[in-house]
Parts: sequence; C-alpha cells; structure tokens
Amino acid sequence: MQKFVVVALNSLLAAGLYATMSYGLAVIYGVMRIINLAHAGLMMLAAYATWALNDRFALDPFLSMLVVAPAFFLLGMALYATLIRWLPRSQAGPSIQSLLLLFGVWLVLQNLAYAIWGGDTQSILTPYTMESVQLFGGRFGVPQILVFGVSILSLVGLNLVLRRTFLGKAIRAVTQNRDAAMLSGVNAGQIAAVAFGIGTAFAAMAGSMLSTLYAFTPDFGRSFLLKAFCIIVLGGMESFTGVAVGALVLAFIENFASAYTSIPVSYQDAISFTLLVVVLVAAPGGLPGLWRKLDRRVVAR
Amino acid sequence: MSALLRRHPLLPVGLAFGAFLLFAPVFAERGTENDLWNMSFFVVLAAAWNLLGGFAGQVSLGYSAFVGIGAYTTVLLAKAGWSPWLTLPVGAALAAAFSVVVGLPTFRLRGPYFTIATIGVGEAVRVIASGLDFTGGSSGLRMPPGTFDFTANYYGMVGLALVTLVLVAWLQQHAFGLALEAIRQDIDGAEALGVNSTQVKLQAHAISSALVAVAGGLFATNFQYISPGSVFDFRLSLTIVLMPIVGGMGTLTGPVLGAMLFSYLQIKLLASPALRDSYLFIYGGLLIVVMLFEPRGIVGLLDRLRARLPRRRTQAVAEAHGAG
Repeated sequence: MQKFVVVALNSLLAAGLYATMSYGLAVIYGVMRIINLAHAGLMMLAAYATWALNDRFALDPFLSMLVVAPAFFLLGMALYATLIRWLPRSQAGPSIQSLLLLFGVWLVLQNLAYAIWGGDTQSILTPYTMESVQLFGGRFGVPQILVFGVSILSLVGLNLVLRRTFLGKAIRAVTQNRDAAMLSGVNAGQIAAVAFGIGTAFAAMAGSMLSTLYAFTPDFGRSFLLKAFCIIVLGGMESFTGVAVGALVLAFIENFASAYTSIPVSYQDAISFTLLVVVLVAAPGGLPGLWRKLDRRVVAR
Repeated sequence: MSALLRRHPLLPVGLAFGAFLLFAPVFAERGTENDLWNMSFFVVLAAAWNLLGGFAGQVSLGYSAFVGIGAYTTVLLAKAGWSPWLTLPVGAALAAAFSVVVGLPTFRLRGPYFTIATIGVGEAVRVIASGLDFTGGSSGLRMPPGTFDFTANYYGMVGLALVTLVLVAWLQQHAFGLALEAIRQDIDGAEALGVNSTQVKLQAHAISSALVAVAGGLFATNFQYISPGSVFDFRLSLTIVLMPIVGGMGTLTGPVLGAMLFSYLQIKLLASPALRDSYLFIYGGLLIVVMLFEPRGIVGLLDRLRARLPRRRTQAVAEAHGAG
C-alpha cells in the first residue's frame, strides 16, 4: 500500500511536467491544425539556453525561465511570421507539408545547438539537484517537486488567461470554429501568431525544467515529443482539461508499469509509443471520444 | 513506344545512363565505382520509399528499420554459412512480413498521424535492436571473411536499382498505381470507388520494404560490418525521406534526381569537415525551402521552368497530333 502511494505521488509529479510539455503542442494544433514537430528542438534549445545562463551568470534554472520563456515567445512569433504563415491553409486535418516544414526547422535547430555548444552531453548541477524529501516513506527529489510546482503555476496562469482575457477567449474561439471566430471579428492570423508564441514559450518552459532533471545533447527531446503527442491524442487533441488528463494517464501507466512489472528501464520509452499507436488506432477521439461513445451507449439503453 | 516516350520524355536518357552504369566497371576507377554504387543504393531507397510515401502519400519516417532487417538477416545467415546472395530473398521476405505487422495497426491512421506513429515504430525498433543479444548489441556484427566481392556487389546494386525503377514504372501504369494515386488524392473517394485502401497500402508497403531490405543486405556485404549506428543511423533514415521529397514526391524521375543530388552531397559532406558538421542545416534548410516554395520538389521546379520556356514547334505539333 505504501509503495502504491509513493508510486502514485511520483506519477503525479511527472504528470505536471508532462502537461506543460504537451500544452505547447496542443495550443498550436488547436489554433492552426499543425503538428509542431519542431517542439522537440525548441525544448532542446531552451534546455541549452537555461544551461548557458546557469554556466555564465550562475542563474538558477527556475529563475532563468523568466528570461527564457519570453524570449522563446518572441522566437515563436518570429517563426510564425517567417515560415508558418506562408503555408497553404488545410481545411480538414493537418497537412503533411506543415509537418515536414517543421521537421526541417527541428533539424536546423539541432544543428544550431551542435554548432554553438558541440555534441557533448550537458547537465545542470544546482545545490539542490541531489536533495530529496522524505514523504510517506518514499524519497522525492527536490527538483521534481519544484518542477511540479512551476508546472502547476504555469498551467493555472495559462488557464486564467484562456478563460478571463479577450485574447484567451479568441484563442479558444479559433480553436473551436475558425470561421465563426473570424465572423465575430477575431483576427485569426494574429491569434495564430500569438498561439505559436505561447506554444513555443511552453516548449521552452518544459525544456528549462527538463534540463534540471535530465542530461541532454542536441539530439535531446525526441522521446519527449512522442510522449507529448501521445498525451494530446489521449486528451482529444484540443481541450485544456484533456491535456491534463492525458498527462496523468501516461505518467501513471509509465510509473506503475516500471514499478510493478519487470519491463527494463531502457524499454520504458516504448510504453508511450505503444500507447500512442494503440490509442490512435482504438480511440482516435482520445479519452473524450471514448467517454462520449460509452455515454451514448449507456443512454441508448 | 511513342506513347511511352511522350509519358516519360526522359526514358532514353535513363536507359543510356543505365547502360553507362552497367559498363562503368570496364573503364571507371574504383573511387568512381564506389560513388556510383552509393548512388544506386540511394536510388533504390528513394524509389522504393516513393511507392508508398509519394504515390500513396503515406509519409513514413521509419524506413531505416527495413534497411536494418535486410542487413542483419544477411550478416546473421552468412555467419551461419549461407552464401550472401541467398540471404537477400530471406531478408526481403522478413522485411515484408514486418511491414505488414507494422502496417496493420498504423495504416488505420491518416496523413500526419501515420507519420508520427512511424517515428514511434522507428524508435522502438532501434531501442530493441540495440538491446537484443543476437544482433551483437551496439557493438555490431562483422561479415565472415571471403564474402567480399566488390564487382559482383556493384552489379547487384545497379541491377537492383534498375529493377526497382522498372517495377515502379510498371506498377504506376497499372490499376495498382492508380489505386495508390486515388488514395493519395482522396482516401474516402477511393474507398467509395471500391479500392480496398488498407490492402493496397499494405501491398505497397510490403513491396517497398522488401526492395529496401535487399539493398540493406547488399549494403552489409559491401561494408562487411554493421551496427545499429550504421544501419539505423538517423542520417540514413533522414536521407531516405528527403531524397524523394526534394526530388519530387509521387513521380518516377523525382526520386532518381533526389538520389543523385544526395549522393553528390554525401561525397561533398565526407570530403569537408566543415560541411559534415552542418549537414543538418543543409538537410533541414532544403526541407524548409521545398515545403515553402515548391512542394513538388525538383520535378515541380523543372515543370515550372518548362512552362516558362517558349514551346518548341515540333513538340506542339506532335501534341496536337496526339490529341487529334
């Protein structure tokens, strides 16, 4: 029982980071119907930026997010203005063209990191990196707890923006129905630029936080991209709550699978790939779609 | 014959080039032959990928898995005493079988969702291959001595490239090619017209993965050593996708042009350390430029140029005759 509680708490801590990491993908998908493959490269670049700030100015990784996130917001807007804007708009789903374009951006970002920082593995060591807290008989790393706290703060902040401000309402409106939003006077192009900025800023925050937990190279981020994609598919692609639920589900499955089964750690990443394929095939609408289907079946009886 | 020529105006050039490749060992130097071998290898990969990715529009990023299956099958069976040539069909069969296993779930996904799923499959295969015992793990495997014969391998690779191109051209002419094209344009429409889209995609996937696996087997024999780092190399799987995209997806000539461009790039990259360190800039930049300006690649660019040029009289007359 005690083990169960500890594993559950660990899953919860992981889920916070997962949600931050995935929200960037979800908002871009929602507004533009684009799958941002460059997300992994942006997380990697933010991890390096955090590391560089820590290395040069001894800035705490969590404080450096205050610099990194706004900078990446602008970078995202710039990416939108120079590249994404010129893509032909696809009506139904995301187009292969946008996917490959952003794949190209990812490659360029990787090379940028190689050119500036080389291919060596880097990691950030802070006074609290090795610290941990005793709770319910389990040990929880201080960085993990801080990451969870910052994730929750950022998600709550974002939720407030989405619900209370005009900008947030406009983003949600474009996500739900682009044409209707435009008819009500929302400048969809501007909203898309802001959404790409927000998505990039969230990738950056996730990258900064990942840099306090993992070592990284310019190739970093691929498995996290797949996890994030798995989460937004689980969450039904566009809703805020969906992302949170998807993050919880993936984190719990991963942690419980490694705690209660004998799957080797090196195969742990395979869990999210497998889950991704299973969900895409069995429940393309994600958990909300599955829920609706079950609901309808119950009502029909 | 003239109808064929009108459809493929570059056919004589292609045939002449094929003949040149076949006779190259008589007069060319070994270095040149190596480059031509590499180009043929790339032609097989690009043209085979294009069958599914270009004609049917199912962009897969996981093709290095099939190169790996072919290469590992050849080395493992050769170590057991088989002739390397006899291992090639076995590798092709295994790759085709694996392609069906992968395809059955993932082909239910459409467009970009399929593409993302193939990233996952590729990652999973790489992780598993480095973890298994009989693959030699990350340290790799060596071919048994006495299996190396460059000239034979050269003819094998050039022959495979020609067979691949002829096969793709032949498939394109028939109902199968039309079905792939229909799937790319409108999968629901194709289904409504009686195309069993999953079956057709599975067949295209199996054919192209078998061809790629044979190329992987020849690759293993030529280099005599393979490891997850060489056959599941990120740059290789990137190149497989980029060649047909940059050349022109869904065309016959596009992948060949792409393969020529990338084998030239590879020679340049290997020759200069500065360029080698920026290959991702080049690859990523190419991808961005193609997607923004001409998603139909070099072939699309040539078409556009040709439309600008004043049409020659004879050609216009011939077309008028053809139409009348």
